[in-house]
Amino acid sequence: MLGNRHLALDTLRQQITALETRPVLQGEESVPARAGFLVAPRGAVHEVFADELREGGAALGFALAQARSMLEPRRPAILYLQLQGDAQEAGVPYGLGLGSFGLDPGQVVFIRAQTIVELLWAIEEAVACRPVAAVVADIVHLQKALDFTASRRLSLRAAASGSSVFLVRYAREREASAAKFRWKIAPAQSRPPPFDATAPGPPRWRVTLEKGSLGGRRRAAPEGEDFLVDWTEHGFERVGADDRTRGAQRPAPLSGAPSAALGDRLSEAS
Amino acid sequence: MKLVALDQRASAEGLFAGQNLADAKALVPNLELREIDLPFIEQVFGDFADWHSNATPIVTVLTDHAAWGDLMLDITGVSHLFGGEAAMLETLSGRLEALGLTVRGAIAPTVGAAWALAHFSSPQVAGADVSEILAPLPVSALRLEESQVAGLEHLGLKQVGQLYSRDRRALKARFGTSLLLRLDQALGYVEERVRPRLPLAEHYVERRFAEPIGLLDDVLMTAHDLALRLSSDLETEGVGAQAFHLFLYRVDHKVMTLSVNAARATRDAQHIGRLFAHRAERLVGEYDAGFGIDMIRLAASSISPVAAVQVGAFETVDGAASLDRLYDRMTSRLGPLAVVRSKPVNSHIPERAVKLEPMVARTPDDPQALLPLAAPRPLKLLPQPEPISVSLAEVPDGPPPNMVWRRVTYRFVRASGPERIAVEWWRSADRLQLGNEAQPSLDRTYTEGETARDYFVAEDDGGRRFWLFRQGLFGASEQPKWFLHGFFA
Repeated sequence: MLGNRHLALDTLRQQITALETRPVLQGEESVPARAGFLVAPRGAVHEVFADELREGGAALGFALAQARSMLEPRRPAILYLQLQGDAQEAGVPYGLGLGSFGLDPGQVVFIRAQTIVELLWAIEEAVACRPVAAVVADIVHLQKALDFTASRRLSLRAAASGSSVFLVRYAREREASAAKFRWKIAPAQSRPPPFDATAPGPPRWRVTLEKGSLGGRRRAAPEGEDFLVDWTEHGFERVGADDRTRGAQRPAPLSGAPSAALGDRLSEAS
Repeated sequence: MKLVALDQRASAEGLFAGQNLADAKALVPNLELREIDLPFIEQVFGDFADWHSNATPIVTVLTDHAAWGDLMLDITGVSHLFGGEAAMLETLSGRLEALGLTVRGAIAPTVGAAWALAHFSSPQVAGADVSEILAPLPVSALRLEESQVAGLEHLGLKQVGQLYSRDRRALKARFGTSLLLRLDQALGYVEERVRPRLPLAEHYVERRFAEPIGLLDDVLMTAHDLALRLSSDLETEGVGAQAFHLFLYRVDHKVMTLSVNAARATRDAQHIGRLFAHRAERLVGEYDAGFGIDMIRLAASSISPVAAVQVGAFETVDGAASLDRLYDRMTSRLGPLAVVRSKPVNSHIPERAVKLEPMVARTPDDPQALLPLAAPRPLKLLPQPEPISVSLAEVPDGPPPNMVWRRVTYRFVRASGPERIAVEWWRSADRLQLGNEAQPSLDRTYTEGETARDYFVAEDDGGRRFWLFRQGLFGASEQPKWFLHGFFA
């Protein structure tokens, strides 16, 4: 009897909190809608795997792209965590490079921990906080402390508060983990921009969803769904098998125009 | 070599401080001597002085004349806690003498008078009229320089009282303004303030223990209780604070200080308690309670008004405030520079174009600082650009066809660039120089051609995109060097 009352009070309290939470950003422009290709639901733990450290840019880019879609007026914060000792090995996020992900330089808060214990503590604290949209943790070396128990704790907290966690790891082997989603990201050769055939184009990744399902659809193949996506200003765009991007039409290059020689002038790479 | 300090037996033999070592050894052949270790003594004396802040917060060490200083306490408004000024002098001197030290103290309305009385007179409490009491003392009681004292004695002015009636302009002309300044300070015509050693706090609460405690857990529990008391004090005044300091006074006369900061003014006792708990976790090696802690004081500084907030069942959750509290907790646990965000800086050079600013001390964004960028910037940057070896790039501005980085070869199929970033003309060219040398050699000046960087975005056959640059223009330097600076998504 008493337990029921407490439960009811708790539920009511949560509902009142959800109703009365003041939005932090007043009068901000709208953020992209949740529906979309490859957009994940809130409140889950994601593991983003890359095979090697040199592909870290792609993995971080994917994690940030997902985190960007989690932003809303009541959840304005994105946190990035890394061990201090890994900074030179893996690189640190560059404020001015966040613009291509639709983020201001000051919008991502960097947290540097000295030990893995501190890092895990920081992730748990951040996830438990409601105004945090997403937490991206860059875990460069294999860590014993990040075991099944730890990931289960994280997923419980994430589900309770609605913040998402992206654990970026670098390995080919997979361990048991309580994460709801597991992605594998590998970079792929990009489509060159229309006016310069020798320049790199928008980032293109081969994304494999190894664990978890999006949009309620069941997984088609047992080893996970495989997509080739471009990251553009419209978000994720799927690339068909013939390497032509579906979606917005791009203007075709003028016939007869010579392709710019490399190094002759600055070209837009993204 | 001179004698700096001596014990009672040595002074009984006729030796005095300032005496030549040779003379002293001649007078007393079997004299025991030790060379003074000044930094150590100053530090120990400083710790000792900090311990005296349990009597009054304003404690300082005057280093005018003695080798390690004199202890000066400002006891305005505190003496009643000890039962009056005379009783306070008794107590403080008494507890020092109980430690085996020789103490001479005095209480006076001005710093100068107190110093004079303590050094040249008997322990006493001076009344409001200091000129009477200072008159019979020698002129060196005024903290003058040796040359001034010698000059005054030469003129026959041996006592302070004789200076009162002298013509001030003549004294100033002969001995300088410092003499008049010291005289006025001693008599109270010019105010002299002491600068306290420990941060001064407007609001503090303290708790003394009958039995000294030692465990960190007990200290944190006390800190929590003190936070509740401090929070109610701050609430009656409608203010909150951004910096909190916990002073732990040990039995053996040392003080430990723990400070935490908050991003916004707060008086939430739970938050303060938790910040100290996190700070204490970072302490582990340095915490040493010695023989025990007998007093703990919690002080608040950086006070500003804070509106009243409804707490409890109908609390409205303020997202920005709970984010700030999260950053406070993380800063407290991980360190002051652990929680940062990038702030753009008005500079072309990539590694200088952003600076990392701690979240607890953040400043509003400056829209001017963001330079419009036409060229792409990488998602990840290496803190220190790493040298790579590139074979045969097209001369003069061609992109690299391949590279060897961390012992792996990469073949590039696409590249764009170059983006030329030259040294900022208002800085010296040396600053942009990178290379194998840890410090740029000082006898070489680098020309602009040698330090300009040409940045390229290169993509290899696996789709990995790198941001690399060539340092030095062809023709300007003998061998241009290539570096990897960042990664794109």
